[in-house]
Amino acid sequence: MASQSNDPRQPSAARPYKPSIVAPQDLPIDYSGFIAVVFGVFGAMFRYKLCSWLAIIFCAQSLANMRNFENDLKQISMAMMFGIMGLVTNYMGLGPRSSPKS
Amino acid sequence: MAKRSPLSRFRRLLYVITILSVFFLLLHRISATNEPHFEGFDADEDDEFVIESNDVGPVRSRTPHISLSEPTSESLHGPPNPKPDSEILPPVSDPNSNSKPASTSFDYWDEDEFEGIPQDLSPENIAIKESATGSDFDLSSDPEKSDLGKDLKSEASDVRPPKNLMSYSIEIVCVTFLVVFAINYFTGKRENENLALAWASKFATKDSIFEKNFSLLGVGETEDSPLLLKEGNNVFKFYASGRRFCSGLLATMELKSRHDLISRLYNMVVPCKDVITFEVYMNDDAMDQVVFALARKKLAKTIQKEVRDLQRFAALVPPPSGKKWVPEELQVVSESKEVAGDLITDAVLDQVFGDKAFEKFGKDFISLHFSDQHLGSNKKMLVLKFALPDANHMADMSRLIALVPYYIDLIGRYKLSSQARSKTEAARLKVAQEIYKELQNARQEALQQKKAEQRKKLEEAQSKLSAEALRKKEAKERARQMKKSSSKLKISRAN
Repeated sequence: MASQSNDPRQPSAARPYKPSIVAPQDLPIDYSGFIAVVFGVFGAMFRYKLCSWLAIIFCAQSLANMRNFENDLKQISMAMMFGIMGLVTNYMGLGPRSSPKS
Repeated sequence: MAKRSPLSRFRRLLYVITILSVFFLLLHRISATNEPHFEGFDADEDDEFVIESNDVGPVRSRTPHISLSEPTSESLHGPPNPKPDSEILPPVSDPNSNSKPASTSFDYWDEDEFEGIPQDLSPENIAIKESATGSDFDLSSDPEKSDLGKDLKSEASDVRPPKNLMSYSIEIVCVTFLVVFAINYFTGKRENENLALAWASKFATKDSIFEKNFSLLGVGETEDSPLLLKEGNNVFKFYASGRRFCSGLLATMELKSRHDLISRLYNMVVPCKDVITFEVYMNDDAMDQVVFALARKKLAKTIQKEVRDLQRFAALVPPPSGKKWVPEELQVVSESKEVAGDLITDAVLDQVFGDKAFEKFGKDFISLHFSDQHLGSNKKMLVLKFALPDANHMADMSRLIALVPYYIDLIGRYKLSSQARSKTEAARLKVAQEIYKELQNARQEALQQKKAEQRKKLEEAQSKLSAEALRKKEAKERARQMKKSSSKLKISRAN
Protein backbone atom coordinates (compact mmCIF):
# COMPACT_ATOMS: atom_id res chain seq x y z
CA MET A 1 0.00 0.00 0.00
CA ALA A 2 3.01 2.30 0.18
CA SER A 3 3.83 4.50 -2.75
CA GLN A 4 5.31 2.76 -5.75
CA SER A 5 8.81 3.15 -7.05
CA ASN A 6 8.01 6.49 -8.61
CA ASP A 7 7.44 9.31 -6.18
CA PRO A 8 3.75 10.25 -5.97
CA ARG A 9 4.63 13.79 -5.00
CA GLN A 10 4.16 16.59 -7.47
CA PRO A 11 5.61 19.80 -6.13
CA SER A 12 4.31 21.67 -9.13
CA ALA A 13 0.76 20.79 -8.23
CA ALA A 14 1.03 22.03 -4.68
CA ARG A 15 -1.49 24.68 -3.74
CA PRO A 16 -1.37 26.65 -0.49
CA TYR A 17 -4.12 26.29 2.07
CA LYS A 18 -7.15 28.51 1.72
CA PRO A 19 -9.39 28.42 4.76
CA SER A 20 -13.01 28.00 3.80
CA ILE A 21 -15.03 31.10 4.61
CA VAL A 22 -18.01 30.41 6.81
CA ALA A 23 -20.77 33.02 6.84
CA PRO A 24 -21.55 34.29 10.32
CA GLN A 25 -25.07 32.92 10.11
CA ASP A 26 -23.85 29.41 9.42
CA LEU A 27 -21.67 29.23 12.50
CA PRO A 28 -22.81 26.77 15.15
CA ILE A 29 -25.21 28.40 17.60
CA ASP A 30 -23.72 29.39 20.92
CA TYR A 31 -26.24 27.66 23.14
CA SER A 32 -24.34 28.24 26.35
CA GLY A 33 -24.18 31.99 25.76
CA PHE A 34 -27.91 32.11 25.14
CA ILE A 35 -28.66 30.10 28.27
CA ALA A 36 -26.32 32.39 30.21
CA VAL A 37 -28.30 35.45 29.13
CA VAL A 38 -31.59 33.77 30.03
CA PHE A 39 -30.40 32.78 33.49
CA GLY A 40 -28.81 36.20 34.03
CA VAL A 41 -32.04 38.02 33.28
CA PHE A 42 -33.99 35.57 35.42
CA GLY A 43 -31.66 35.93 38.35
CA ALA A 44 -31.56 39.71 38.18
CA MET A 45 -35.31 40.09 37.87
CA PHE A 46 -36.57 37.45 40.25
CA ARG A 47 -33.73 37.62 42.75
CA TYR A 48 -32.70 34.00 42.52
CA LYS A 49 -29.08 33.70 43.57
CA LEU A 50 -28.77 30.30 41.98
CA CYS A 51 -29.82 31.66 38.58
CA SER A 52 -27.20 34.39 38.72
CA TRP A 53 -24.51 31.90 39.62
CA LEU A 54 -25.62 29.57 36.86
CA ALA A 55 -25.45 32.50 34.46
CA ILE A 56 -21.83 33.07 35.45
CA ILE A 57 -21.05 29.38 35.01
CA PHE A 58 -22.55 29.29 31.53
CA CYS A 59 -20.68 32.47 30.66
CA ALA A 60 -17.53 30.67 31.62
CA GLN A 61 -18.46 27.75 29.38
CA SER A 62 -19.20 30.11 26.50
CA LEU A 63 -15.84 31.82 27.00
CA ALA A 64 -14.09 28.47 26.98
CA ASN A 65 -15.74 27.50 23.71
CA MET A 66 -15.17 30.84 22.05
CA ARG A 67 -13.62 30.46 18.61
CA ASN A 68 -13.71 33.82 16.95
CA PHE A 69 -12.42 36.38 19.39
CA GLU A 70 -13.98 39.51 17.95
CA ASN A 71 -17.41 38.21 17.03
CA ASP A 72 -18.22 36.13 20.06
CA LEU A 73 -16.91 38.48 22.71
CA LYS A 74 -19.85 40.86 22.36
CA GLN A 75 -22.47 38.28 23.24
CA ILE A 76 -20.38 36.80 26.02
CA SER A 77 -19.74 40.21 27.58
CA MET A 78 -23.44 40.97 27.44
CA ALA A 79 -24.28 37.69 29.17
CA MET A 80 -21.60 38.30 31.74
CA MET A 81 -22.95 41.77 32.48
CA PHE A 82 -26.39 40.33 33.13
CA GLY A 83 -24.93 37.74 35.45
CA ILE A 84 -22.84 40.22 37.40
CA MET A 85 -25.77 42.60 37.65
CA GLY A 86 -27.86 39.75 39.03
CA LEU A 87 -25.21 38.88 41.59
CA VAL A 88 -24.81 42.50 42.67
CA THR A 89 -28.55 43.01 43.12
CA ASN A 90 -28.80 39.77 45.04
CA TYR A 91 -25.93 40.34 47.42
CA MET A 92 -25.81 44.06 47.89
CA GLY A 93 -29.56 44.60 47.90
CA LEU A 94 -29.58 47.66 45.72
CA GLY A 95 -32.75 49.31 44.61
CA PRO A 96 -36.30 48.97 45.87
CA ARG A 97 -37.12 45.65 47.30
CA SER A 98 -40.82 45.86 47.97
CA SER A 99 -41.75 44.78 44.47
CA PRO A 100 -40.13 41.94 42.61
CA LYS A 101 -40.15 44.01 39.43
CA SER A 102 -36.87 45.85 39.06
CA MET B 1 -21.33 18.52 5.42
CA ALA B 2 -23.62 17.95 8.41
CA LYS B 3 -21.66 16.50 11.24
CA ARG B 4 -24.61 16.06 13.57
CA SER B 5 -28.23 15.81 12.57
CA PRO B 6 -30.60 18.37 14.12
CA LEU B 7 -32.46 15.56 15.91
CA SER B 8 -29.43 14.36 17.83
CA ARG B 9 -28.58 17.98 18.64
CA PHE B 10 -32.00 18.52 20.15
CA ARG B 11 -31.80 15.22 21.99
CA ARG B 12 -28.53 16.25 23.53
CA LEU B 13 -30.01 19.62 24.42
CA LEU B 14 -32.86 17.82 26.16
CA TYR B 15 -30.39 15.74 28.16
CA VAL B 16 -28.55 18.85 29.22
CA ILE B 17 -31.77 20.56 30.21
CA THR B 18 -32.92 17.60 32.33
CA ILE B 19 -29.57 17.39 34.11
CA LEU B 20 -29.67 21.11 34.77
CA SER B 21 -33.20 21.06 36.07
CA VAL B 22 -32.39 18.20 38.46
CA PHE B 23 -29.32 20.11 39.66
CA PHE B 24 -31.40 23.27 40.07
CA LEU B 25 -34.11 21.46 42.02
CA LEU B 26 -31.63 19.83 44.36
CA LEU B 27 -29.88 23.08 45.13
CA HIS B 28 -33.18 24.86 45.53
CA ARG B 29 -34.22 22.25 48.09
CA ILE B 30 -30.99 22.70 50.00
CA SER B 31 -31.30 26.47 49.93
CA ALA B 32 -34.97 26.30 50.94
CA THR B 33 -34.21 24.26 54.04
CA ASN B 34 -31.43 26.64 55.00
CA GLU B 35 -33.48 29.80 54.58
CA PRO B 36 -35.31 29.95 57.88
CA HIS B 37 -32.11 29.60 59.82
CA PHE B 38 -29.98 32.21 58.20
CA GLU B 39 -31.82 34.26 55.61
CA GLY B 40 -33.47 36.13 58.45
CA PHE B 41 -30.17 37.92 59.13
CA ASP B 42 -29.76 39.27 55.61
CA ALA B 43 -30.77 42.74 54.62
CA ASP B 44 -34.40 41.96 53.77
CA GLU B 45 -36.25 43.07 56.84
CA ASP B 46 -39.76 42.51 55.59
CA ASP B 47 -38.92 38.96 54.68
CA GLU B 48 -37.37 38.44 58.08
CA PHE B 49 -40.61 38.80 59.91
CA VAL B 50 -42.45 36.72 57.38
CA ILE B 51 -39.93 33.94 57.87
CA GLU B 52 -40.06 34.22 61.62
CA SER B 53 -43.81 33.96 61.76
CA ASN B 54 -43.52 30.81 59.71
CA ASP B 55 -40.96 29.51 62.12
CA VAL B 56 -43.21 30.20 65.04
CA GLY B 57 -45.54 27.61 63.63
CA PRO B 58 -43.23 24.62 63.68
CA VAL B 59 -41.73 25.75 66.96
CA ARG B 60 -45.13 25.81 68.55
CA SER B 61 -45.92 22.39 67.19
CA ARG B 62 -42.75 21.05 68.69
CA THR B 63 -43.33 22.32 72.18
CA PRO B 64 -46.42 20.27 73.03
CA HIS B 65 -44.29 17.14 72.78
CA ILE B 66 -41.72 18.54 75.15
CA SER B 67 -44.31 19.93 77.49
CA LEU B 68 -46.10 16.59 77.68
CA SER B 69 -43.01 14.99 79.07
CA GLU B 70 -43.04 17.42 82.00
CA PRO B 71 -46.67 17.66 83.14
CA THR B 72 -45.96 18.55 86.74
CA SER B 73 -43.94 21.70 86.13
CA GLU B 74 -46.49 23.29 83.81
CA SER B 75 -49.45 23.05 86.15
CA LEU B 76 -47.70 25.02 88.88
CA HIS B 77 -47.19 28.74 88.96
CA GLY B 78 -44.77 29.02 91.78
CA PRO B 79 -41.85 26.71 91.29
CA PRO B 80 -41.41 27.35 87.57
CA ASN B 81 -40.88 31.06 88.23
CA PRO B 82 -37.43 30.84 89.73
CA LYS B 83 -36.65 27.89 87.50
CA PRO B 84 -36.74 29.78 84.20
CA ASP B 85 -34.39 32.38 85.64
CA SER B 86 -31.88 29.78 86.68
CA GLU B 87 -32.28 27.77 83.53
CA ILE B 88 -32.06 30.63 81.12
CA LEU B 89 -29.07 32.29 82.75
CA PRO B 90 -26.68 29.46 81.84
CA PRO B 91 -27.31 29.80 78.09
CA VAL B 92 -26.95 33.57 78.38
CA SER B 93 -23.65 33.43 80.20
CA ASP B 94 -22.35 30.59 78.06
CA PRO B 95 -23.39 31.29 74.49
CA ASN B 96 -21.96 28.09 73.12
CA SER B 97 -23.87 25.74 75.35
CA ASN B 98 -26.18 23.15 73.92
CA SER B 99 -29.70 24.01 72.92
CA LYS B 100 -31.44 21.98 75.63
CA PRO B 101 -31.92 24.75 78.23
CA ALA B 102 -33.06 27.06 75.47
CA SER B 103 -35.67 24.57 74.35
CA THR B 104 -37.06 24.21 77.84
CA SER B 105 -37.47 27.98 78.00
CA PHE B 106 -39.82 27.64 75.02
CA ASP B 107 -42.19 25.55 77.06
CA TYR B 108 -42.76 28.37 79.46
CA TRP B 109 -43.16 31.02 76.81
CA ASP B 110 -45.69 29.21 74.70
CA GLU B 111 -48.03 28.30 77.51
CA ASP B 112 -50.65 30.98 78.19
CA GLU B 113 -50.21 30.46 81.93
CA PHE B 114 -46.77 31.92 81.77
CA GLU B 115 -47.48 35.10 79.89
CA GLY B 116 -45.85 37.18 82.55
CA ILE B 117 -42.51 35.48 82.32
CA PRO B 118 -41.46 36.54 78.83
CA GLN B 119 -41.87 40.21 79.85
CA ASP B 120 -39.64 39.70 82.89
CA LEU B 121 -37.07 37.91 80.89
CA SER B 122 -37.18 40.12 77.83
CA PRO B 123 -35.15 43.04 79.24
CA GLU B 124 -32.44 40.64 80.36
CA ASN B 125 -32.48 38.90 77.03
CA ILE B 126 -32.47 42.11 75.04
CA ALA B 127 -29.62 43.62 77.00
CA ILE B 128 -27.48 40.53 76.88
CA LYS B 129 -28.23 39.65 73.29
CA GLU B 130 -27.41 43.12 72.07
CA SER B 131 -24.13 43.13 73.87
CA ALA B 132 -23.28 39.66 72.73
CA THR B 133 -24.15 39.96 69.09
CA GLY B 134 -24.25 43.69 68.45
CA SER B 135 -26.32 43.26 65.32
CA ASP B 136 -29.29 45.39 64.38
CA PHE B 137 -32.70 43.99 65.04
CA ASP B 138 -35.94 45.90 64.50
CA LEU B 139 -38.42 45.49 67.32
CA SER B 140 -41.96 44.95 66.21
CA SER B 141 -44.97 46.17 68.11
CA ASP B 142 -45.65 42.64 69.29
CA PRO B 143 -43.26 41.90 72.17
CA GLU B 144 -43.92 38.19 72.15
CA LYS B 145 -42.96 37.83 68.56
CA SER B 146 -39.84 39.89 69.00
CA ASP B 147 -38.83 37.88 72.04
CA LEU B 148 -39.42 34.70 70.18
CA GLY B 149 -37.32 36.13 67.43
CA LYS B 150 -34.64 37.05 69.95
CA ASP B 151 -34.67 33.59 71.36
CA LEU B 152 -34.50 32.11 67.90
CA LYS B 153 -31.57 34.40 67.40
CA SER B 154 -29.99 33.22 70.61
CA GLU B 155 -30.44 29.66 69.58
CA ALA B 156 -29.03 30.46 66.21
CA SER B 157 -26.14 32.40 67.68
CA ASP B 158 -25.35 29.46 69.94
CA VAL B 159 -24.71 27.31 66.94
CA ARG B 160 -23.79 30.09 64.51
CA PRO B 161 -20.56 29.11 62.77
CA PRO B 162 -21.69 25.77 61.29
CA LYS B 163 -25.06 27.23 60.19
CA ASN B 164 -23.25 30.12 58.51
CA LEU B 165 -21.33 27.73 56.32
CA MET B 166 -24.38 25.61 55.58
CA SER B 167 -26.40 28.58 54.47
CA TYR B 168 -23.68 29.64 52.04
CA SER B 169 -24.06 26.32 50.25
CA ILE B 170 -25.00 27.77 46.87
CA GLU B 171 -22.06 30.14 46.86
CA ILE B 172 -19.62 27.47 47.95
CA VAL B 173 -20.84 25.01 45.36
CA CYS B 174 -20.77 27.55 42.55
CA VAL B 175 -17.39 28.99 43.40
CA THR B 176 -15.83 25.55 43.68
CA PHE B 177 -17.42 24.64 40.36
CA LEU B 178 -15.92 27.73 38.76
CA VAL B 179 -12.51 26.99 40.23
CA VAL B 180 -12.65 23.39 39.02
CA PHE B 181 -13.85 24.66 35.65
CA ALA B 182 -10.86 26.96 35.34
CA ILE B 183 -8.43 24.21 36.29
CA ASN B 184 -10.07 21.80 33.88
CA TYR B 185 -9.89 24.36 31.09
CA PHE B 186 -6.13 24.48 31.20
CA THR B 187 -5.58 20.76 31.70
CA GLY B 188 -8.11 19.82 29.03
CA LYS B 189 -6.65 22.27 26.54
CA ARG B 190 -3.19 20.86 27.09
CA GLU B 191 -4.47 17.31 26.76
CA ASN B 192 -6.11 18.07 23.43
CA GLU B 193 -2.99 19.79 22.16
CA ASN B 194 -0.87 16.84 23.18
CA LEU B 195 -3.15 14.46 21.37
CA ALA B 196 -3.07 16.51 18.18
CA LEU B 197 0.69 16.87 18.36
CA ALA B 198 1.08 13.15 18.98
CA TRP B 199 -0.85 12.45 15.81
CA ALA B 200 1.13 14.98 13.82
CA SER B 201 4.46 13.72 15.08
CA LYS B 202 3.54 10.20 14.07
CA PHE B 203 2.05 10.88 10.66
CA ALA B 204 3.09 14.30 9.46
CA THR B 205 6.70 14.87 10.38
CA LYS B 206 9.84 13.71 8.59
CA ASP B 207 9.81 10.26 7.02
CA SER B 208 6.18 9.82 7.81
CA ILE B 209 3.50 8.67 5.45
CA PHE B 210 2.25 12.11 4.54
CA GLU B 211 5.70 13.48 4.08
CA LYS B 212 6.38 10.73 1.58
CA ASN B 213 3.19 11.38 -0.30
CA PHE B 214 2.78 15.13 -0.38
CA SER B 215 5.24 17.84 -1.20
CA LEU B 216 3.64 20.67 0.76
CA LEU B 217 2.67 20.00 4.34
CA GLY B 218 1.14 22.51 6.68
CA VAL B 219 -1.07 25.53 6.59
CA GLY B 220 1.32 28.27 5.64
CA GLU B 221 2.94 29.40 2.42
CA THR B 222 6.54 28.33 2.90
CA GLU B 223 8.33 25.14 3.76
CA ASP B 224 8.68 25.97 7.43
CA SER B 225 4.99 26.61 7.95
CA PRO B 226 3.29 25.16 11.04
CA LEU B 227 1.79 21.76 10.48
CA LEU B 228 -1.40 22.11 12.45
CA LEU B 229 -3.95 24.90 12.51
CA LYS B 230 -5.77 25.28 15.78
CA GLU B 231 -9.29 26.46 15.09
CA GLY B 232 -10.65 26.03 18.56
CA ASN B 233 -9.68 24.28 21.74
CA ASN B 234 -10.85 21.00 20.29
CA VAL B 235 -10.55 21.46 16.49
CA PHE B 236 -7.24 21.05 14.68
CA LYS B 237 -6.61 21.08 10.94
CA PHE B 238 -3.81 19.61 8.90
CA TYR B 239 -3.30 20.41 5.23
CA ALA B 240 -1.18 18.69 2.63
CA SER B 241 -0.83 19.32 -1.06
CA GLY B 242 1.27 18.42 -4.05
CA ARG B 243 0.41 14.95 -5.23
CA ARG B 244 -0.77 13.32 -8.37
CA PHE B 245 -4.50 12.86 -8.84
CA CYS B 246 -5.49 15.25 -6.10
CA SER B 247 -5.20 18.92 -5.43
CA GLY B 248 -4.98 18.67 -1.69
CA LEU B 249 -5.89 16.93 1.50
CA LEU B 250 -7.43 18.46 4.59
CA ALA B 251 -7.48 16.47 7.82
CA THR B 252 -9.76 17.86 10.54
CA MET B 253 -9.37 16.55 14.06
CA GLU B 254 -12.47 17.09 16.17
CA LEU B 255 -11.58 16.10 19.68
CA LYS B 256 -13.75 15.80 22.74
CA SER B 257 -14.32 19.08 24.54
CA ARG B 258 -11.95 18.28 27.34
CA HIS B 259 -11.46 21.96 28.15
CA ASP B 260 -15.13 22.47 28.99
CA LEU B 261 -16.20 20.86 32.25
CA ILE B 262 -19.90 20.83 31.44
CA SER B 263 -19.28 19.07 28.11
CA ARG B 264 -16.97 16.66 29.82
CA LEU B 265 -19.66 15.72 32.33
CA TYR B 266 -22.17 15.46 29.51
CA ASN B 267 -19.86 13.17 27.57
CA MET B 268 -19.75 10.85 30.53
CA VAL B 269 -23.46 10.33 30.03
CA VAL B 270 -23.55 10.45 26.21
CA PRO B 271 -20.39 8.86 24.83
CA CYS B 272 -18.28 10.72 22.33
CA LYS B 273 -15.16 9.97 20.31
CA ASP B 274 -12.15 11.86 19.03
CA VAL B 275 -12.68 11.89 15.27
CA ILE B 276 -10.30 12.65 12.42
CA THR B 277 -11.82 13.36 9.00
CA PHE B 278 -9.76 13.30 5.83
CA GLU B 279 -11.06 15.23 2.83
CA VAL B 280 -9.16 14.61 -0.38
CA TYR B 281 -9.96 17.00 -3.18
CA MET B 282 -9.61 15.03 -6.40
CA ASN B 283 -8.70 16.53 -9.73
CA ASP B 284 -11.46 16.72 -12.30
CA ASP B 285 -9.79 14.37 -14.71
CA ALA B 286 -8.68 11.95 -12.00
CA MET B 287 -12.03 10.74 -10.76
CA ASP B 288 -14.60 8.83 -12.76
CA GLN B 289 -18.28 8.60 -11.89
CA VAL B 290 -18.05 6.81 -8.58
CA VAL B 291 -20.47 7.00 -5.67
CA PHE B 292 -19.40 4.66 -2.91
CA ALA B 293 -19.64 4.50 0.85
CA LEU B 294 -18.63 2.01 3.48
CA ALA B 295 -19.57 2.13 7.17
CA ARG B 296 -20.89 0.08 10.03
CA LYS B 297 -24.41 -1.22 9.49
CA LYS B 298 -26.42 1.30 11.48
CA LEU B 299 -24.41 4.27 10.32
CA ALA B 300 -24.57 3.10 6.71
CA LYS B 301 -28.35 3.07 6.78
CA THR B 302 -28.46 6.53 8.32
CA ILE B 303 -26.08 8.08 5.83
CA GLN B 304 -27.81 6.48 2.90
CA LYS B 305 -30.99 8.23 3.96
CA GLU B 306 -29.47 11.57 4.94
CA VAL B 307 -26.58 12.34 2.61
CA ARG B 308 -27.90 13.79 -0.62
CA ASP B 309 -25.77 12.14 -3.21
CA LEU B 310 -26.05 8.71 -1.62
CA GLN B 311 -29.77 9.19 -1.39
CA ARG B 312 -30.03 10.05 -5.06
CA PHE B 313 -27.62 7.67 -6.65
CA ALA B 314 -26.68 4.84 -4.33
CA ALA B 315 -28.33 1.91 -2.61
CA LEU B 316 -27.32 -0.61 0.02
CA VAL B 317 -25.34 -3.38 -1.62
CA PRO B 318 -25.78 -6.87 -0.22
CA PRO B 319 -22.67 -9.03 -0.01
CA PRO B 320 -22.25 -10.92 -3.26
CA SER B 321 -21.87 -14.65 -3.12
CA GLY B 322 -18.65 -16.32 -4.09
CA LYS B 323 -16.48 -13.29 -3.51
CA LYS B 324 -14.38 -12.15 -0.61
CA TRP B 325 -16.20 -9.30 1.02
CA VAL B 326 -16.19 -7.03 4.03
CA PRO B 327 -17.25 -8.56 7.36
CA GLU B 328 -20.79 -8.59 8.66
CA GLU B 329 -20.50 -5.43 10.74
CA LEU B 330 -19.81 -3.32 7.69
CA GLN B 331 -22.25 -2.30 5.00
CA VAL B 332 -21.47 -1.14 1.48
CA VAL B 333 -23.51 1.63 -0.15
CA SER B 334 -22.82 2.05 -3.83
CA GLU B 335 -24.24 3.13 -7.13
CA SER B 336 -23.18 -0.02 -8.89
CA LYS B 337 -22.11 -3.38 -7.56
CA GLU B 338 -19.33 -3.63 -10.07
CA VAL B 339 -17.72 -0.48 -8.84
CA ALA B 340 -18.10 -1.63 -5.26
CA GLY B 341 -16.36 -4.88 -6.08
CA ASP B 342 -13.57 -3.03 -7.83
CA LEU B 343 -12.98 -0.71 -4.97
CA ILE B 344 -12.84 -3.41 -2.32
CA THR B 345 -9.67 -4.99 -3.54
CA ASP B 346 -7.85 -7.96 -2.14
CA ALA B 347 -5.12 -5.80 -0.78
CA VAL B 348 -7.58 -3.74 1.21
CA LEU B 349 -9.29 -6.84 2.52
CA ASP B 350 -6.00 -8.36 3.58
CA GLN B 351 -4.77 -5.30 5.32
CA VAL B 352 -7.77 -3.70 6.90
CA PHE B 353 -11.22 -4.88 5.96
CA GLY B 354 -10.91 -8.62 5.88
CA ASP B 355 -12.45 -10.63 8.68
CA LYS B 356 -9.23 -11.17 10.56
CA ALA B 357 -7.67 -7.84 9.85
CA PHE B 358 -10.79 -5.93 10.79
CA GLU B 359 -10.85 -7.46 14.24
CA LYS B 360 -7.35 -6.23 14.88
CA PHE B 361 -7.19 -2.93 13.07
CA GLY B 362 -10.72 -1.96 12.34
CA LYS B 363 -11.94 -0.72 15.67
CA ASP B 364 -11.05 2.88 14.88
CA PHE B 365 -12.75 2.87 11.50
CA ILE B 366 -15.89 4.96 11.15
CA SER B 367 -16.73 5.53 7.48
CA LEU B 368 -15.57 5.99 3.89
CA HIS B 369 -17.41 8.10 1.36
CA PHE B 370 -16.10 8.56 -2.18
CA SER B 371 -18.22 10.58 -4.53
CA ASP B 372 -18.04 12.82 -7.52
CA GLN B 373 -21.39 14.38 -6.70
CA HIS B 374 -20.76 15.81 -3.28
CA LEU B 375 -22.78 18.79 -2.20
CA GLY B 376 -20.88 22.02 -1.88
CA SER B 377 -18.14 23.60 -3.90
CA ASN B 378 -15.88 20.54 -4.18
CA LYS B 379 -17.80 17.92 -6.07
CA LYS B 380 -15.13 15.27 -6.42
CA MET B 381 -14.03 14.30 -2.97
CA LEU B 382 -12.94 11.33 -0.93
CA VAL B 383 -14.00 11.53 2.70
CA LEU B 384 -12.57 9.12 5.25
CA LYS B 385 -13.45 9.19 8.93
CA PHE B 386 -11.57 7.44 11.68
CA ALA B 387 -11.61 7.53 15.45
CA LEU B 388 -8.44 8.71 17.09
CA PRO B 389 -6.76 6.42 19.61
CA ASP B 390 -5.16 8.00 22.64
CA ALA B 391 -1.80 9.68 22.48
CA ASN B 392 0.27 6.65 23.37
CA HIS B 393 -1.33 4.30 20.86
CA MET B 394 -1.15 6.37 17.72
CA ALA B 395 0.53 3.58 15.83
CA ASP B 396 -2.67 1.55 15.98
CA MET B 397 -4.17 3.55 13.18
CA SER B 398 -1.26 3.41 10.76
CA ARG B 399 -3.00 0.89 8.55
CA LEU B 400 -6.10 3.04 8.40
CA ILE B 401 -4.01 6.07 7.53
CA ALA B 402 -2.32 4.06 4.82
CA LEU B 403 -5.73 3.64 3.19
CA VAL B 404 -5.69 7.33 2.29
CA PRO B 405 -2.90 7.37 -0.31
CA TYR B 406 -3.88 3.91 -1.46
CA TYR B 407 -7.37 4.99 -2.34
CA ILE B 408 -6.17 8.23 -3.91
CA ASP B 409 -4.12 6.19 -6.33
CA LEU B 410 -6.78 3.55 -6.84
CA ILE B 411 -9.53 6.00 -7.67
CA GLY B 412 -7.19 8.20 -9.64
CA ARG B 413 -6.44 5.33 -11.95
CA TYR B 414 -9.84 3.70 -12.00
CA LYS B 415 -11.93 3.75 -15.16
CA LEU B 416 -15.46 2.50 -15.31
CA SER B 417 -16.40 -0.23 -17.72
CA SER B 418 -18.74 0.77 -20.52
CA GLN B 419 -21.77 -0.96 -19.00
CA ALA B 420 -21.34 0.64 -15.67
CA ARG B 421 -20.71 3.97 -17.29
CA SER B 422 -23.90 3.86 -19.30
CA LYS B 423 -25.92 3.23 -16.17
CA THR B 424 -24.28 5.97 -14.20
CA GLU B 425 -24.57 8.40 -17.08
CA ALA B 426 -28.30 7.76 -17.34
CA ALA B 427 -28.79 8.29 -13.62
CA ARG B 428 -26.84 11.50 -13.63
CA LEU B 429 -28.63 12.90 -16.63
CA LYS B 430 -31.92 12.29 -14.89
CA VAL B 431 -30.82 14.03 -11.76
CA ALA B 432 -29.33 16.89 -13.74
CA GLN B 433 -32.62 17.39 -15.56
CA GLU B 434 -34.53 17.43 -12.30
CA ILE B 435 -32.17 20.02 -10.91
CA TYR B 436 -32.55 22.09 -14.05
CA LYS B 437 -36.33 21.94 -13.79
CA GLU B 438 -36.20 23.00 -10.18
CA LEU B 439 -33.96 25.89 -11.10
CA GLN B 440 -36.31 26.96 -13.85
CA ASN B 441 -39.28 26.86 -11.52
CA ALA B 442 -37.42 28.88 -9.00
CA ARG B 443 -36.47 31.42 -11.66
CA GLN B 444 -40.04 31.70 -12.86
CA GLU B 445 -41.29 32.25 -9.37
CA ALA B 446 -38.71 34.93 -8.84
CA LEU B 447 -39.72 36.62 -12.08
CA GLN B 448 -43.38 36.53 -11.14
CA GLN B 449 -42.62 38.03 -7.79
CA LYS B 450 -40.67 40.79 -9.42
CA LYS B 451 -43.49 41.50 -11.81
CA ALA B 452 -46.00 41.65 -9.00
CA GLU B 453 -43.78 44.04 -7.11
CA GLN B 454 -43.40 46.23 -10.16
CA ARG B 455 -47.12 46.31 -10.68
CA LYS B 456 -47.64 47.36 -7.10
CA LYS B 457 -45.12 50.13 -7.50
CA LEU B 458 -46.79 51.36 -10.65
CA GLU B 459 -50.17 51.41 -8.99
CA GLU B 460 -48.82 53.35 -6.09
CA ALA B 461 -47.16 55.77 -8.42
CA GLN B 462 -50.36 56.19 -10.32
CA SER B 463 -52.35 56.78 -7.20
CA LYS B 464 -49.83 59.33 -6.13
CA LEU B 465 -49.93 60.95 -9.49
CA SER B 466 -53.68 61.07 -9.39
CA ALA B 467 -53.54 62.73 -6.00
CA GLU B 468 -50.99 65.17 -7.31
CA ALA B 469 -53.00 65.69 -10.46
CA LEU B 470 -56.03 66.50 -8.34
CA ARG B 471 -54.01 69.01 -6.40
CA LYS B 472 -52.69 70.53 -9.58
CA LYS B 473 -56.19 70.74 -10.96
CA GLU B 474 -57.38 72.43 -7.83
CA ALA B 475 -54.48 74.82 -7.94
CA LYS B 476 -55.19 75.58 -11.59
CA GLU B 477 -58.81 76.17 -10.84
CA ARG B 478 -57.98 78.54 -8.05
CA ALA B 479 -55.56 80.35 -10.31
CA ARG B 480 -58.24 80.63 -12.97
CA GLN B 481 -60.68 81.99 -10.46
CA MET B 482 -58.15 84.45 -9.26
CA LYS B 483 -57.47 85.49 -12.81
CA LYS B 484 -61.12 85.81 -13.51
CA SER B 485 -61.63 87.97 -10.50
CA SER B 486 -58.58 89.98 -11.32
CA SER B 487 -59.54 90.21 -14.98
CA LYS B 488 -62.91 91.66 -13.95
CA LEU B 489 -61.07 94.30 -12.09
CA LYS B 490 -58.99 94.96 -15.09
CA ILE B 491 -62.01 95.32 -17.21
CA SER B 492 -63.47 97.65 -14.74
CA ARG B 493 -60.31 99.67 -14.67
CA ALA B 494 -60.12 99.81 -18.35
CA ASN B 495 -63.59 100.99 -18.27
